[in-house]
Amino acid sequence: MKNYIINLSGSKKLAMVGLILGLVAVLLGNPYDNTFAKVNVKALSVESIRDSEIINVKELAGWIIEGRVDYRLVDLRDEEAYKEYFIPTAVNIPTSKLLESNLMRNQKILLYCEDNIKAAQGWFILKANNYKGVYILNGGVDSWKDEILFPNISANASPEEKAEFDKMVEVSEFFGGSPQVGETEGEKEIKMPKIEMPAAIPMNTGGGKPKREGC
Amino acid sequence: MNAPFYKFDLFGFDVSLIIAFVIGIGFGFALERGGFGSARILAAQFYFTNMRVLKVMFTAIVTAMIGVFYLSYIGYLDLSLIFISDTYIIPQVVGGLILGMGFIIGGYCPGTSFVAFSTGKKDAIVFILGVTFGIFIFAELFPFIEDFYYSTNMGRVTLPDFFGLSYGMVVFLVVLMALGAFAAAEWGERVMAKKGESK
Repeated sequence: MKNYIINLSGSKKLAMVGLILGLVAVLLGNPYDNTFAKVNVKALSVESIRDSEIINVKELAGWIIEGRVDYRLVDLRDEEAYKEYFIPTAVNIPTSKLLESNLMRNQKILLYCEDNIKAAQGWFILKANNYKGVYILNGGVDSWKDEILFPNISANASPEEKAEFDKMVEVSEFFGGSPQVGETEGEKEIKMPKIEMPAAIPMNTGGGKPKREGC
Repeated sequence: MNAPFYKFDLFGFDVSLIIAFVIGIGFGFALERGGFGSARILAAQFYFTNMRVLKVMFTAIVTAMIGVFYLSYIGYLDLSLIFISDTYIIPQVVGGLILGMGFIIGGYCPGTSFVAFSTGKKDAIVFILGVTFGIFIFAELFPFIEDFYYSTNMGRVTLPDFFGLSYGMVVFLVVLMALGAFAAAEWGERVMAKKGESK
């Protein structure tokens, strides 16, 4: 047997190596499989969610107005909630479908949900799967409503607060919201205006910096 | 460090062009050393008198396939980031037939014509002019054939998806196919050589 192998020509030896590697491949199965991730728990616990990975809603509003495309905004809620309202430019990927999505590991991914807790779950799933730039929208849709769509100011606010609020009014109107003035008391009686997708904003579903590829 | 490097932003677009240049030179060198700079050898493939093209191409395919499979299996390469172009089955079959005819008539494929030209073959420069002219005609005709060009889109199809087999099984079957093709090619060459002698 040993002599037989030694006497084979070089190309036949290579062919045997190829055959063996091919046989082993059958046993190994699917390299695409990402259901089981190996997580470096220690690294993850040290890393946790850093402050720099939490984006607040005003920052995001600025990005959308500027038309930045170097990030992908991901809505983790279910389809119904998404259809009702979503933050402009967001794509809908429910948490359960996160791994089947076409998110790229080199992209900046900004996750949001109703609040921070569910977004953090998505953050963990992506981080465990070696996604590098994963961010969370602080406060999620709730904060977006409170601070961007329906900002509120009390009637006896200081001049600085007022100046700040005037700026927010413009932002709010850009997104089709309606700023509220001085109804801290009667807030419950005021009917929340129906949240609708502002039609004026062009949808940008393409993600990230376009990279040229293919031949 | 993970591959593909470009997708993981290890370098930008400018550097990628330099790397593409270096890889291109290496590819051209390998083609030339493989004998692909000669129209005689390339055309002989289609008459089954010299099976070198089949052997070199299948070796390259099997080597790359095994490399990609194992690199991604050990986690060094993210297979989901590898670009796979869409399959437009009928336009691609028609395009393949046209390219094949040009291959037999001219004795080169577009890549090997540049390899041959770099070693000073005169027929290669004529072939390159033909390629350029063909590109020009295609571009001018494109508005008329655009519908056909984008027809029968099957999306991103891979052999494992198409046959419903595991990736490992496809790797194994392609290796078997290659080894079978090598054996058949060697046998065929011997038969053709005998025929040549008896003439």
